[in-house]
Amino acid sequence: MLEINALSKNFGGIKAVENLDLQVQSGEIVGLIGPNGSGKSTLVNVVCGVLKPTSGDVIFEGRSMAGQAPSTRLRHGIARTFQNIRLFGGLTVWQNLWVARNSPKDIRSQSIVRRWLGSSAVLKREIETMLEFSNLADKADVLASNLAFGEQRRLELARAVAAKPRLLLLDEPAAGMNQTEVAELEQRIRRLREQGITILLVEHVMQLVMGVTDRIAVLNFGSKIAEGTPNDIQENTAVQEAYLGHSDEV
Amino acid sequence: MDYYLNLINTIGIHTLLGLSAYLLILTGQVSMAQAGFFGIGAYTAAIFTVIFEWNILSAIGAAMLVSGGVAFLVGFPALRVRGLMLVVATVAFSEFARMFFYNLKWRVVRDGAEIGPDGTMGFAEIRYFNDNGWLNWEVTIFLWIFVAVVMALIWWADKTRIGAVLRAVGEDELAADSTGINVTVVKVAAMTAGGVVAGLAGSLYAHQVTDLDHHTFTVLLATFAIAYPILGGLSNVFGTLIAVVFIQGLLIEGLRFLGDWRMLLFGALIIVAMNIKPLGLFDNQTIRVLRNALGVKRQGNSV
Amino acid sequence: MEDFWYEFVEVTQTITDGLLFGSTYALIGIGFTLIFGAMGKLNMAYAAAALGGAYAGLAGFVLIKAPLVLVFGISAVAAAVLGYAIYFACFRFIPVNNHLAALMASVGGLFFIDEVVVHVTRGSPLTFPSMFGDVYFEIGPYGIRGDLVFVFVIGLISTGILLYILFKTRLGLATRAVAQQDVAARLCGIGVHSTNSVTFAIAGVLGGIAGAMTAAAVGVLSPVMTVPLTIKGIIVAVIGGLGSIPGAIIAGLFIGGFENVFLYFRGIDERDMYVVAVLFLFLVFRPNGLFGTAITRD
Repeated sequence: MLEINALSKNFGGIKAVENLDLQVQSGEIVGLIGPNGSGKSTLVNVVCGVLKPTSGDVIFEGRSMAGQAPSTRLRHGIARTFQNIRLFGGLTVWQNLWVARNSPKDIRSQSIVRRWLGSSAVLKREIETMLEFSNLADKADVLASNLAFGEQRRLELARAVAAKPRLLLLDEPAAGMNQTEVAELEQRIRRLREQGITILLVEHVMQLVMGVTDRIAVLNFGSKIAEGTPNDIQENTAVQEAYLGHSDEV
Repeated sequence: MDYYLNLINTIGIHTLLGLSAYLLILTGQVSMAQAGFFGIGAYTAAIFTVIFEWNILSAIGAAMLVSGGVAFLVGFPALRVRGLMLVVATVAFSEFARMFFYNLKWRVVRDGAEIGPDGTMGFAEIRYFNDNGWLNWEVTIFLWIFVAVVMALIWWADKTRIGAVLRAVGEDELAADSTGINVTVVKVAAMTAGGVVAGLAGSLYAHQVTDLDHHTFTVLLATFAIAYPILGGLSNVFGTLIAVVFIQGLLIEGLRFLGDWRMLLFGALIIVAMNIKPLGLFDNQTIRVLRNALGVKRQGNSV
Repeated sequence: MEDFWYEFVEVTQTITDGLLFGSTYALIGIGFTLIFGAMGKLNMAYAAAALGGAYAGLAGFVLIKAPLVLVFGISAVAAAVLGYAIYFACFRFIPVNNHLAALMASVGGLFFIDEVVVHVTRGSPLTFPSMFGDVYFEIGPYGIRGDLVFVFVIGLISTGILLYILFKTRLGLATRAVAQQDVAARLCGIGVHSTNSVTFAIAGVLGGIAGAMTAAAVGVLSPVMTVPLTIKGIIVAVIGGLGSIPGAIIAGLFIGGFENVFLYFRGIDERDMYVVAVLFLFLVFRPNGLFGTAITRD
């Protein structure tokens, strides 16, 4: 479904991502790990259209994504969450979901005017469903900036999923969470897969990565140093060396 | 009585001007182009009533179309510049418009007298209201109906998804883009709408003062235009109205007794206000949007 | 054929005159760009301070019959003092990331200085002594005004001194350090506020010289010169690339030349329109100016 071919991204003299190849098959949950500065977030930003690659290609469902803006990629089916939450703080929970793009099916079932005004019953139902899914139904009218941290993360996820994407990139969704919250997140990610969403999970929190992914790719200094099942990766010496000193084993 | 009617008219026109800037600031575009759109609306409407002898409503409609059209065209290059540079670019546009009208000469002879914009002499004899027997208070009501309608429209739009989308773009363009909002469409639409409203304000202004001089359409006017929504806050349209009443009513009229020294005090007041409460005058949303709109990212320019 | 040659000479003469005069714009542009480079902010009161300095120089000439060099000197010092005052009133106490408040405050400063000048001079324009006004070089079909050459030379010298200060002295080093990374500079013990004040003062000196130069070349000092000079200075700084001194120099000369050509072909009323249009074109097609570094997407 997603093909990253020989992707490189340089910032001036810094090679954030170097000649990276990665494939994600439909229905998988792929994990992307690596020490800080290994290029994970840069990769996410390039795949989502926030950054232009220096060279190489991002191909989604057979179509090259070169030059496409994030909103266009969303229309094609790629959604993402942000590492440092980027909710619309001045808008309420409801409004945050309201402005997000609907799924193509929902869009077709509403007239343009009702879509712009946001008054269609279909849309309202969708938002209510998502609020239920994220346990935020009772906070619909709270300003996003007033939510607790965990609630903000749930809203961020809900907003990304609103467009019913086929590929979802999660950028460190578990950062700052305690064990219970991580377990809840794991459940939510599994349910998303059941709904047919392919997931690329960038994460530091090993509990989550090892628990929920089918396959893991490991980055270091912008290149892929290992790829395999969670078990393979745990026993891989190169990976252990890359992480030497890093203690996030939960 | 006439004095107060004039003041009320001025407040109405400036409210429209402020609302036009309001729409733009919501989307994170701090635009000084409102003075330009205002001027375009003023001259266009006046040309239609004076030279083509249209009635006032058609002239206003035409003026709104023209200024909206120009705003639409301005909206696209505006996308390429952000923050302070957008301020500079829109100042450039407003100045260009002003100088264009400064040079516009289109004189026709009607009933033995010459009328029309006269280049550096301005555009006098915009006598539609007088010639058609409008009383002063009728003009005021007419003007304020427009103000009320525009306020109501914006108020209503703010309650729909449109308002939320505008604000989302103003808060965080990147997040908006990533959530599927077509940021280009939103920003250009905001600029166009702002242009239409400013054009409306200008066309009303032209007929109210009957005499246009390019000195009106300066950067100072554009500064007022953005000052109103910033001071009044971005939560709702009433903030802008209150800010206009405050500045035009209290400050400008109230300080009239100072005569020549008024500008001096005005300048000093601005400096003091900015120092004492640079953020305190604004509400949280305004601060957030302005920070986003004007934050300048310098990439190691060497000095 | 004769006509074409004549026209050609006229146009190149116009361009040359414009280039020479453009050195004044270059200096003002350098001032704007220095402050932008150092603090990331536009100082809208800059040109007003520059002209204020020129007024002080004129006062020196009128009151104590100061010789030319002293007039320029007084202008420079007065503008530097004004520059520091503007820094203190409009930039020192406002939080660094609040660009709008600083901008508005400097606009307030612009109004204030302008009004003071209007009150003191009762709004009437004053004659400024022109230097070498009667000197006129003839080179072939061209005539070069001595006062414009003088102005150009002063511009060259000032720029040279500025570059020397910036690149060969510790003060300049500190200024450039603050411009690039003010937090790191602070950690290295460089006082940001004192460095910024010095930047404003240096820019002020340039501005005072530029103001006196402009007044000398035009022969007149009047408060209505402030806003056009501000706008031209910003245009020059932007076209040259904000933060770039070579950019400001080239852009200043360029605008000077262009302006005169527009003046020649379309007259004074339309001249400024075209200058503004040039700015707009640059902003649309090359928003970072000639030498600004490209701002990559977020």
